[in-house]
Formats: sequence, structure tokens, C-alpha cells
Amino acid sequence: MSKLKNMGDKELAAVTAASVILFAVVSHWVLEAISTVELLELAYGSFKLFNNPLVF
Amino acid sequence: MISTILNQYRATASVVAVLAVIILLELLGFRSAIYPSLLPAFEWIKYSTPIGVIGTTYGSIYATVEALHLISMATIGGLVLATDLRLLNVVLRDTPSETIVEGTYKVFKVALVVAVLTGIFCAAGVADKVYYMPVFWIKMGVLAAGSVFMIFFKQPLLSGVPHSEISPWSIRLLAVTSILIWFTVAATGRWIGFS
Repeated sequence: MSKLKNMGDKELAAVTAASVILFAVVSHWVLEAISTVELLELAYGSFKLFNNPLVF
Repeated sequence: MISTILNQYRATASVVAVLAVIILLELLGFRSAIYPSLLPAFEWIKYSTPIGVIGTTYGSIYATVEALHLISMATIGGLVLATDLRLLNVVLRDTPSETIVEGTYKVFKVALVVAVLTGIFCAAGVADKVYYMPVFWIKMGVLAAGSVFMIFFKQPLLSGVPHSEISPWSIRLLAVTSILIWFTVAATGRWIGFS
């Protein structure tokens, strides 16, 4: 809390911008991963990276 | 009271205001409203401008400019990794992080300008194709956000004061965000090529 109090304007602005961008980018990749899993399930019936009889 | 806080945290207030405007525009459907009107501009770039015509006519020139684009992107990637992994105390520990941040930023600016200029040429040759690709717009959004973040937030903070005066968690957050931004720019860029 004392660290946050000592944070200057520049640092707080950079941390705010970084947090928002990081959240957006991580959300993007998580959503991409979910849609990829859904696509694999649609194609193969189940999401199975190993021992999948349909994947050689 | 509020005006005192706003004066003390002017940059932070500006970030919050810009974010509020972006959210408001998104809620009002601004992006989907202007999207169709951009298609004629993309078609014009491809069919009526010298860069579009050269890009679609001369494969050798397109390949050469694309190679420059990839080299500049690789340079950015290398500089970002060297800088941010140093900030995370992973590599180059015997060199002060301030020295690395200053040194790499000079080259970063040049590489970014080259990447943007060659990227415009590369996109012009396939403008009517990339217009319909969501991944192209994601790359442009992350590239714009990343450039603004680097030029207006990360670099001014890291070059303004000794890094020992900045909270270690702030430095770690900036470094991780920077790595993820440029990883996303590179990955979506390659995704465009495979779409």
C-alpha cells in the first residue's frame, strides 16, 4: 500500500496501460485456444492430443 | 480535491479518459459502423496506388520488401527480448538495465519505422484480402497499442529515473506486457500469411 502511495504519475499511467493491454492480449489468446479446442472437438468428436485414432 | 488529484495524476487520468472513450465508442457500435466504409479505401490502395500496383505486378519486389519487413520484425523481437528479459533479470545481468533500455530503444525506433513502412507496402498488395481477415485487424490493434505503450509509457518511465526507484512489480508487469504484445504482433503477422 505504501508502495502504491509512492507511485508517481508516470509509473501509475504505465502500470494502468500495461494492465489493460495485458488483459486484452491474454483474453485474445485464451479465446483463440477455446475456439481451437471447439474446432478440434467438431472435427474429431473429442479433444484428444495423444492416442487419437484419427490423428497420425 | 478532485482537481488536485487530477493535476497530480494527469497522465493516469488521460489513460483512463482514453479507455473510457474507446469503451464508449465500442458500445455505440462505432467500429462496426465505419468498417464497411473502409472497403473502398482498401480497394483503392490495391488497384490505384503505385505501391498496390507494384506489389501485385512485381513478385520479386514484393518478396524483397517482405524480407525487409521480416528482418525489421525480427530486429524488434530481438531488442524486445533483450530489453525485457534483462528487466526480468533473466539475461545480461552484468550490464545495468538502464544502459540496455537506452541502447536498444534507439534501434527499436528505426526498426519500428521500417516495419511499418514495409508493412504498408506488403498490405497494399493484398489489401482486398486482408480487409476481410479479423486477424489483420487484431494485428493492427495490438501494433498500435504496443507502439503507443512503448513510446509514451514504457520508455519515458524507464529512461526517466534509475530502475531501483521504480517498483520491481511495475517493471515486471511492463516487461511481460511488452513481450506478449510483440509476440502477438509476430504471431498474428504470420497468421495473416497462412489465412
